[in-house]
Amino acid sequence: MEPILTRYIQESNSYTLDFFLKHEGYQGLRKALATQPNDIIEMVKASGLRGRGGAGFPTGMKFQFVDKKTPKPKYIACNADESEPGTFKDHVLMERNPHLLFEGCLIGCWAIGAKMAYIYIRGEFYHVQKVLESELAKAYAQGYAGRNVMGSGWDCDIVIHRGAGAYEAGEETALIESLEGKRAQPRIKPPFPAVQGLYDCPTAVNNVETLCNLPCIMINGAEWFAKLGPEKNGGPKLYCISGHVKKPGVYEASMNTTIKELIFDRAGGIREGHQLKAVIPGGSSVPILLPDQLDIPASFDSVQKAGSMLGSAGMIVMDETTCMVWAAMNLMHFYKHESCGKCTPCREGGDWLWKILARIERGEGQMRDLELLTSISNNIAGKTLCAFGDAEATPPLTTLKHFRGEYEAHIREGRCTVPADWRAKGVAEVAH
Amino acid sequence: METVTLTIDGRQVTVEKGKTVLQGAIEHGIKVPYYCYHPGLEIDGSCRVCLVKIEKMPKLQTSCSTLVAEGMVVSTEAPDVVEARASVLEFLLINHPLDCPVCDKGGECPLQDFAYSFGPNESRMEFPRRVFDGEGVKADVDFGPTLMLNRNRCILCTRCVRFMKEVDGDAQINIVDRGYGSEIATFQDEGVHSLISGNLMDVCPVGAITTKDYRFKSRPWDNPEAIDTICTFCERGCNTTAWLRAKPEWAKGALLVRTTPRLNPDVNGYWMCDIGRFDYHWIEGDDRLHRPLVKMEAGLQQPADWREATAKAADRITAAGTGSLRFLISAHASLEELFLIGRLGSALGTPEDGVAISWRAREKPQPADTKFKVPPIDAPNVNGARDMGFPVKASSDGRPDISAFRQQVEQGRVKALFVFDPGPPGSIGDVSWVSQARASGKLALLIVQGALITDLARAADIVLPGASSFEKDATYVNYQGRVQAASRALPAPGDAQEDWQIFVNLGLALGITLGYTDSAHVRADVAAAMSSNAAYAGLADLAFARPVTAQHWLQASNPSERWKWDVMFQDLPPVKFAGRPDPSSIPTVIPLTERD
Amino acid sequence: MSFHPLMPYGSEGFQKSERTLMARGEPFAFTAERAAKLEDICSKYPPERRKSAVLAALYLVQEQQQYITASAMRHVAEFLRITPAEVEDVATYYVMFFKAPVGKYVLQVCRTLSCALAGAERVTETLSEKLGIGIGETDPSGMFTLLEFECLGACDRAPVVMVNNEHWHEKARPETCAKLVDDLRQRGLSALSGCHLKVEQ
Repeated sequence: MEPILTRYIQESNSYTLDFFLKHEGYQGLRKALATQPNDIIEMVKASGLRGRGGAGFPTGMKFQFVDKKTPKPKYIACNADESEPGTFKDHVLMERNPHLLFEGCLIGCWAIGAKMAYIYIRGEFYHVQKVLESELAKAYAQGYAGRNVMGSGWDCDIVIHRGAGAYEAGEETALIESLEGKRAQPRIKPPFPAVQGLYDCPTAVNNVETLCNLPCIMINGAEWFAKLGPEKNGGPKLYCISGHVKKPGVYEASMNTTIKELIFDRAGGIREGHQLKAVIPGGSSVPILLPDQLDIPASFDSVQKAGSMLGSAGMIVMDETTCMVWAAMNLMHFYKHESCGKCTPCREGGDWLWKILARIERGEGQMRDLELLTSISNNIAGKTLCAFGDAEATPPLTTLKHFRGEYEAHIREGRCTVPADWRAKGVAEVAH
Repeated sequence: METVTLTIDGRQVTVEKGKTVLQGAIEHGIKVPYYCYHPGLEIDGSCRVCLVKIEKMPKLQTSCSTLVAEGMVVSTEAPDVVEARASVLEFLLINHPLDCPVCDKGGECPLQDFAYSFGPNESRMEFPRRVFDGEGVKADVDFGPTLMLNRNRCILCTRCVRFMKEVDGDAQINIVDRGYGSEIATFQDEGVHSLISGNLMDVCPVGAITTKDYRFKSRPWDNPEAIDTICTFCERGCNTTAWLRAKPEWAKGALLVRTTPRLNPDVNGYWMCDIGRFDYHWIEGDDRLHRPLVKMEAGLQQPADWREATAKAADRITAAGTGSLRFLISAHASLEELFLIGRLGSALGTPEDGVAISWRAREKPQPADTKFKVPPIDAPNVNGARDMGFPVKASSDGRPDISAFRQQVEQGRVKALFVFDPGPPGSIGDVSWVSQARASGKLALLIVQGALITDLARAADIVLPGASSFEKDATYVNYQGRVQAASRALPAPGDAQEDWQIFVNLGLALGITLGYTDSAHVRADVAAAMSSNAAYAGLADLAFARPVTAQHWLQASNPSERWKWDVMFQDLPPVKFAGRPDPSSIPTVIPLTERD
Repeated sequence: MSFHPLMPYGSEGFQKSERTLMARGEPFAFTAERAAKLEDICSKYPPERRKSAVLAALYLVQEQQQYITASAMRHVAEFLRITPAEVEDVATYYVMFFKAPVGKYVLQVCRTLSCALAGAERVTETLSEKLGIGIGETDPSGMFTLLEFECLGACDRAPVVMVNNEHWHEKARPETCAKLVDDLRQRGLSALSGCHLKVEQ
């Protein structure tokens, strides 16, 4: 499949409005503005576009759920808080193709009857934000956003809102809280954002890549889009491949492509002289796939069938030098650091899990710690307001499932049995 | 009322539509624990301990945030619910200190209660507990003028954060840091400054927020008696409970150890203000009048017995001319007392402008959008006095306008003045002009009936010691026009009498037979006199609470939670008994109930 | 005990927590230019939702004086018509606000899995040795603060080091870290690699 979203990103001026306009820029929006909002929603539904943020929820349905009868304003909140470990696709899209995102936001706004889109960009992407801001100013100046969008008589604003370092802000209700100037902590659902979101108004929260798919659906049609991939997994998909591969990067492909192809063909395979040990296929929150599980299409449904999730399509590849206890501990540090602290199990359990993992990794664990890890993880998973609890429970559960022997070896030998050369010399000190 | 019928644990229950599963369960006496939920605050859904299983829902749901629906099938006893609940309690307790023996909340602590009922038998936590300021009471830090905060005990339910934001209207409490490091704090440790700060102690489901007033003073099992009454310190008339400590007569210290709010959705909700909560120390304080006082020729006040004091008062009034007696009455006078004053006045021939009603009014500093406004008028019965036909005049700021009456006194046109001021101190408003008139001789006779030895009482020729509102059964009409009963919790100190009695006896000495033998008789006549006013319907039948020995330790529990105890946990073992306990019936070891 | 809400706090028996409070700092007010900028940002939200601009306001504080102080939070609260506690609530939640003085260059090394697989632990270790400071500390010259950050979202260019919340250095190598420190001292931010796609151009 020819790249669609990232086709021109290697061009030096791909991010500019001039370049964008020469390459079908804002044509999707032009078409959308001539289409009834409801028809657009039907089109998006027919295209089978699924949210690219992680959950894979059908975007058309999300738009449809937005309460359009209320006199309150409606909003698009674009989730550009890309912070799932192993994920960096929105980063590239926004930096190299910002107008595509603006166009997607505007189409989304038109479809749900909103006149305002907030792009919530993570604070660490300030260099990206600067690109977005200068290009947005150009879009405003040339009538592609703001007053009277493309001469249609319709007004729609786009505002870029900078986060400040919180993984949880990527959860849709927490993102809304953060937009409202509060701690990024999730809200109870229901009410769902589509009914009561930002400022208690109907809000569609969409990932950057999701919105970037709207223009090509408008231009080429729903059927074309759906046929790009397997059934219910249509459209182009961006894959982020990192870790022990030769050519880490963002690769655009159809969801017919297998994970194996992505890792071994597109990303050049495992670094010289090493063998693949495990892959986390969808960002740090999903279960591990083993080397013999990779010959499957990298689609939402196939990966789920294989026992994991496509999630944000952030594939973290680990070779045989990786200690899986350490990997779980590393991720658990992430989760305990990023837990917002609202729900009891996640707040208290994350730190507890991390302490146990660190103890095992140091070689001070006991065999009963393994049951404890499992039990605590299961007590967190599914018991919290948002999916963070499930994500937090995943690293210990998935590594224990596939690499229990490695845990036992740590405990038996009283030391880390897979000490890689790329780890800190004083492993324990740095890890604490 | 639209209702919904659902099944909880196999029981069909009917609940008002729009309520949550948790509320439905509580109403029907089905046990579900909770911390972040509080009926007076918005739903948070964060503590996760109220998880239940609902058919057709894939995951366990928090019952506090799930609305009831027709035909819903809920289980609070399914094995996965039991396990999940236990695990949340295990999480809550991994950092919560087990210092219940020195914790003020001990004995009325939802965390303690629920952990016993639903928690795991033991914790698997092997790492040291997180401590902020060291172990034990060292972690108690100031949390403003009225409160203490124990940083270690907090379970981050955020009830206090939400209370300040939603009810007080000034979000002074916040969380600092996040995740595992989160803790409750005020900006720069400046503490909570609020007129309703005491409620934070009630909403806190653990011993993290305690009041300085009640701290280390008593334990729930030492407060066997609780009396439901109302607060009379302002015109709102919050429904409250007065708590009495068990102590032998000879022991030092006060009986009354705290007052707490009692749910009345129409008057005060779950809340009360700090004035009502904390300003009760004068009731058993050193300034109380214990005996009648009569001023001697030399100008010194000497204690006297009632017969002597009443006779003296009657003599002096008669000498001045009974028709010349004027009355200055605090709006703290109850309906019964006002009625008797009215009867006395008409028998003596007091003209209509011969009575003035006075009170104190002061604007209370509170945030503009507070949901619990403390009224400016510091008196419980201004409306009652107005209803009963007394000349109640108020200026626009709520202060009493008694200038004409004052002028009469200051110009020496009043020969004898009777002042009734049952406290609290200062609540009658400015009466310094009365003392001055007496000192300058413009006022020849001053009789004061009241609870405290005030400057005014010191200036009086005769002082008659009365009762505070905690010491008599009396009724008041609040700012909404609602007639409410304040119950007698304590006896009046020394020889002091209930005020209705003093009026009756004074009448007798003056040759006026009022003919009452207890306050209920007075009330019946008030009810008859006010029968044309619908608000007074039922006055004669108003129920007065008596000190009730808490038969059950949970019954005497945390006030804001108490409504819950009435329907839950009836099967827990009693540790206190009504009346004289049979020693053999007191278990030496309190058996913990086994979870079924 | 007096019961009145305005009674003095902390007179007798005052017991202070051991919590490290943010420094009160010098009296703070936004410069006219920044105040105008913040007012402009506020205008992007509904008028009664000025609170939405609190993150932007805190960034402006950091732009003006490097780190957040109590005086600054109070000023932000007044500006946005919210309480100081609400500002502190937010300021302490997000990791990109510095709650204590920091060096001229804040080195924020990504520590999460992809970067760690590429040697981030050793980058941190080397920087720590070179600067003679631990994580979270500032070197005696006041030039550098070393922090660990969680996933920065550029895992294909691991390990990533962010500097001062804004500037990027990618593919940091343990063996060249010492030189990076020297270069930063001499050449300032131009010593950094910048963001990858710009490099590729």
